[in-house]
Amino acid sequence: MTKIALEDIRLKDFTLENLSRLQELRRLSFARKPEICIERARYITRYLRDKDDPTDSPEVRQAKKVNYFLQRKRSVFHDHNLLAGSTTSKALGAPLFPEFFALTLWPELDTVSTRAKNPQKLTPDEARELNLEIFPFWMENNVLELTRKRIGNGKSAECLKLFESLVFFIAAKAGCISHAVPAYEVMLEIGLSGLIGMAARRETVALAHASEEGNRQADFYRAVQISLQGIVQYAEHLAEEAATLADVADDPEVRQEFLDMAKVCQQVPAGPTTNFREAVNAIWICQVGIHAENINMAMSPGRLDKLLYPYYKRDMEAGRLDISRAMELIGCLWLKIADNVTMVPEASEEMFGGAGTVPAITLGGVDADGEDAVNDLTYIMLRVTELLRIRDPNVNARYDYEKNSKEYCRRVSEVILNTKAVPAFFNDRANISALTGQGESLEHARDYAVIGCVELASSGRDYPASSSIMLNLAAPLEMALFQGKRPITGEEQIGPATPDPASLKSFEEFWEVFKTQLDWLIEKAIDLNEQMGAVHQQMMPSPLLSAFFEGPMDKGKDLIQGGSLYNSSGATHIAFADVVDSLNAIEQTVFIDKKYRFAELLQMVKADFAGAEGEKMRLYLKNRAPKYGTEHPLARKNARNIVGHLFNLYQSHTNYRGGPYRPAYWTMTNHAGLGGITGALPNGRKSGEFFASGITPVSGAAPELTACLNAVAELGGECVPGCWALNIKYSPEADVEKMTERFAQTIEAYFRAGGQQVQFNIMTYEMLLDAKKHPEKYPELMVRVSGYSAYFKDLNELMKDELITRTMYDLANGRAVAYPPEKGGK
Amino acid sequence: MKKALIGDIGRYAVHDGPGIRTIVFFKGCPLRCPWCHNPEFIADRPESAFFPDRCIGCGECRDLCPVAAVEVDKIAGINRSRCTGCGLCAGSCPTKALELVGRRYDVEELTNILLRDRLFYQTSGGGVTLSGGEPTAQLAFCGELLQRLHQQGIHTAMETNGFFAWDEFKTTCLPYLDLILFDVKIADRDRHRVVTGIGNEVILANLQKLLAVRADDVIARIPLIPGFTADNENITRLAALLKELMVRRCSLLPYHPYGLAKVEKIGGTQNNTLPQKPMNDRVLHEWQCFFTDFDIVEP
Repeated sequence: MTKIALEDIRLKDFTLENLSRLQELRRLSFARKPEICIERARYITRYLRDKDDPTDSPEVRQAKKVNYFLQRKRSVFHDHNLLAGSTTSKALGAPLFPEFFALTLWPELDTVSTRAKNPQKLTPDEARELNLEIFPFWMENNVLELTRKRIGNGKSAECLKLFESLVFFIAAKAGCISHAVPAYEVMLEIGLSGLIGMAARRETVALAHASEEGNRQADFYRAVQISLQGIVQYAEHLAEEAATLADVADDPEVRQEFLDMAKVCQQVPAGPTTNFREAVNAIWICQVGIHAENINMAMSPGRLDKLLYPYYKRDMEAGRLDISRAMELIGCLWLKIADNVTMVPEASEEMFGGAGTVPAITLGGVDADGEDAVNDLTYIMLRVTELLRIRDPNVNARYDYEKNSKEYCRRVSEVILNTKAVPAFFNDRANISALTGQGESLEHARDYAVIGCVELASSGRDYPASSSIMLNLAAPLEMALFQGKRPITGEEQIGPATPDPASLKSFEEFWEVFKTQLDWLIEKAIDLNEQMGAVHQQMMPSPLLSAFFEGPMDKGKDLIQGGSLYNSSGATHIAFADVVDSLNAIEQTVFIDKKYRFAELLQMVKADFAGAEGEKMRLYLKNRAPKYGTEHPLARKNARNIVGHLFNLYQSHTNYRGGPYRPAYWTMTNHAGLGGITGALPNGRKSGEFFASGITPVSGAAPELTACLNAVAELGGECVPGCWALNIKYSPEADVEKMTERFAQTIEAYFRAGGQQVQFNIMTYEMLLDAKKHPEKYPELMVRVSGYSAYFKDLNELMKDELITRTMYDLANGRAVAYPPEKGGK
Repeated sequence: MKKALIGDIGRYAVHDGPGIRTIVFFKGCPLRCPWCHNPEFIADRPESAFFPDRCIGCGECRDLCPVAAVEVDKIAGINRSRCTGCGLCAGSCPTKALELVGRRYDVEELTNILLRDRLFYQTSGGGVTLSGGEPTAQLAFCGELLQRLHQQGIHTAMETNGFFAWDEFKTTCLPYLDLILFDVKIADRDRHRVVTGIGNEVILANLQKLLAVRADDVIARIPLIPGFTADNENITRLAALLKELMVRRCSLLPYHPYGLAKVEKIGGTQNNTLPQKPMNDRVLHEWQCFFTDFDIVEP
């Protein structure tokens, strides 16, 4: 157990007023407008066009391409951040990855800078370069086109078509794999030179085998060396540039800052880390390096409190560091992590608008021995998070209710109440057992960190491609209702032609029909994911990222080839609560109460509950049918059955890297986007309305807080290895101390019941309505979407409405407050 | 065991005993206090509550009512003299504009519901509070329920008006109660009878007996109701009385017009002498000053 040396774990004497550097950097972070950065696209295109050696293995080719870029990447210092290195050449950059969806920008080159919603600036010269030089090269060479070519007219063509209709599932590999938590311990200890040396020795040994396998391994080790060498060179350039800037600086203080940065970059990440500042900067430069190879989506630094603590402690004990400086460095890292955004074409605004890049940081929890891992840095990072209140990084707090202190739980609760949104809370007991259920050793499971939104991975041991499939559960439900067709796709026969539900004798028969459609769709999604996985193996291996994992060095295999210790693929599900409630409504009103005939229900659903009779039925279904999020036994049964069925189905599939599929329940903004294009459902949801987010019950369906938390919690553990996002909204109270107390007690009870994750918005209906009406009054309002944070003003209208109408509970009586807000209120 | 008529079950209550609690509202009360917070739990039979703002006038209730007690003119209306409280209308209402208040539970079913939140009790030092209506009006059931909860290690409390048969209460309930919140309203016997319908002799005698055996576990509570209890004379007399009885813990409940809006939902009429606004904090403070020589008043 780590002893807490801080006198005040709340660090309330440290404010932005006396951390003026952070205050200024924070101000800049809000003032900056995103700019598209074409640097990476330019150099990898040039490499592949002019220098590529087609006889290179995919790994070596990737390494050379990344190395070529890193050697040419500009060293820029945009502000007074103490850390050297930046993801892009712009102060707030959206890097382009032409391997993926960058080409969707092509038709928007002239408009992206000036569009009304979330514009991203692009200079005319760079637009021309994209148009004439870069994009034409990638027309046939991006992941999606290569997948199309690979599939041809084969049986998987149908899967691709389903994906491209966008209303069934998203095959996320067309846009990224990324989603990983590297392990930096070894890098900090021996430096990248040490890692390069290791790879070189392995290469020699592999070549000595003089076998095909040995040669393949040697190629991989060579790729590791080449790509890491790229980071080393980038760091050298940073050191040179910092030294140059020091030379020309007039202000002695600024001059010294640049000299210090130059010194840091001369030492790390190439050499072993000797102090806290070097450790922080080494991690940051490696993160930049990883982004040269992998798209900026949920590349998560992981358990930084645990990782950095030894360096912090040594410097503190030696008197080389004080709390204020440590907070400044951590704050600088937080702001650096937020230096990039994703390029979002206008067409994708509906689905992903307002999302950050969701690099997750994980605090607290237990160590490999199962003991309390909370340390002084945990509290420093919490305080920095509380002060900065920025969208990225996505900060998450692990909590083991037996091992972590109550003070820790209360402090995290207090930060959530003060920021109104972060961090998210993760239950160690449930999540560790979810991972050991996946065959991970107890020690490895205990070292889990959060990836992106909510997904779990043992740090640097688990390559979970956690965002491989995002599946709309309402699609198979609609197909079950309409014999394999969906209202939105008309008369086209999509899924198997299952029987007309009106002919069914029992709910169990309908459940079988639903499973037939569900299983069919999942098979298609998995099929396409496998095809895309194979394309990634050829085109996008990750030798650089592999260097920061356990497994690849021993196996001589890239992560994409199954080099990691654990190799799962993740599938997340949208519309869970709406589908459970629809099943409940069918079972109760059609089969148990016989209030409606199935044919009658189908007719009304198809007609979107039009007319007075339709509306009457809709209200009855909405208000009177059993709901997920209550204690109703039927609702609990149906929720359990879906979760259980999905678990068994996914686990029975093995992916191209040799690991299982893991189901999850988080939705980003897809529950709004996919809801917008899905027809009416039997739970009384009208066509085009958003779905509930993540694993959260439908808004208004769960009137009692404890019943809601119990209903969700009992689904937790082994059957949800990909984790979930539960959104809870509380109205703020005047007495913060009392509220903190109850808040923490409530979380502990939810965790003891098995809940895996929960995140909060501490705000009222009225405030969010006002923020929608007067965005200028709330420029910094940060909200939790489903697994990540966003600025409310950046979200699209549907997503704003979803956030506004989410059930708000009053923590003074545990009851849902009715929406819309009643005048006078209760 | 007979079933009990329960008006509602309120989970995550934080004002009626320590920690996070579930409150069981028993339906039926022998007193008729005009300011009652929960007028829907006074009558000892099920009743339909009507929420006019939710009604869409669809007529489903009218069509189902076996005694023609519902009329619909744009929105529904209930003829209370005909209504038998069968609940058919509430069960069919698509918008929950009609809800049946009062359901019979057997002790096992109720215990299971109360145990669903035991983790919340555990992490907050909370438990279960029996309230109402008046729980002691269904005394035997209370005893059975409290015994079961106690066996499960659940902290138990009861809110009572004090009007119960002492001997039975002492043997069936008291051994399984950790805390008793005992209302003391009006000191004067006759005025108590005029205002609440029942004299205070039994109530005060019960309080005295209770204090004799469990003084530390009793909190005497005085509702501060303008025009009924919150006047100089009554409060002075109550203060003296509590002192004489050697009450160790006491709290003041400031007036809140909760009950006013609810009374119409079950077909009653508001007492128009009661204020529409909650008691001002400063007024509450003034009353608290009456008790300054007591160091027993709890916030």
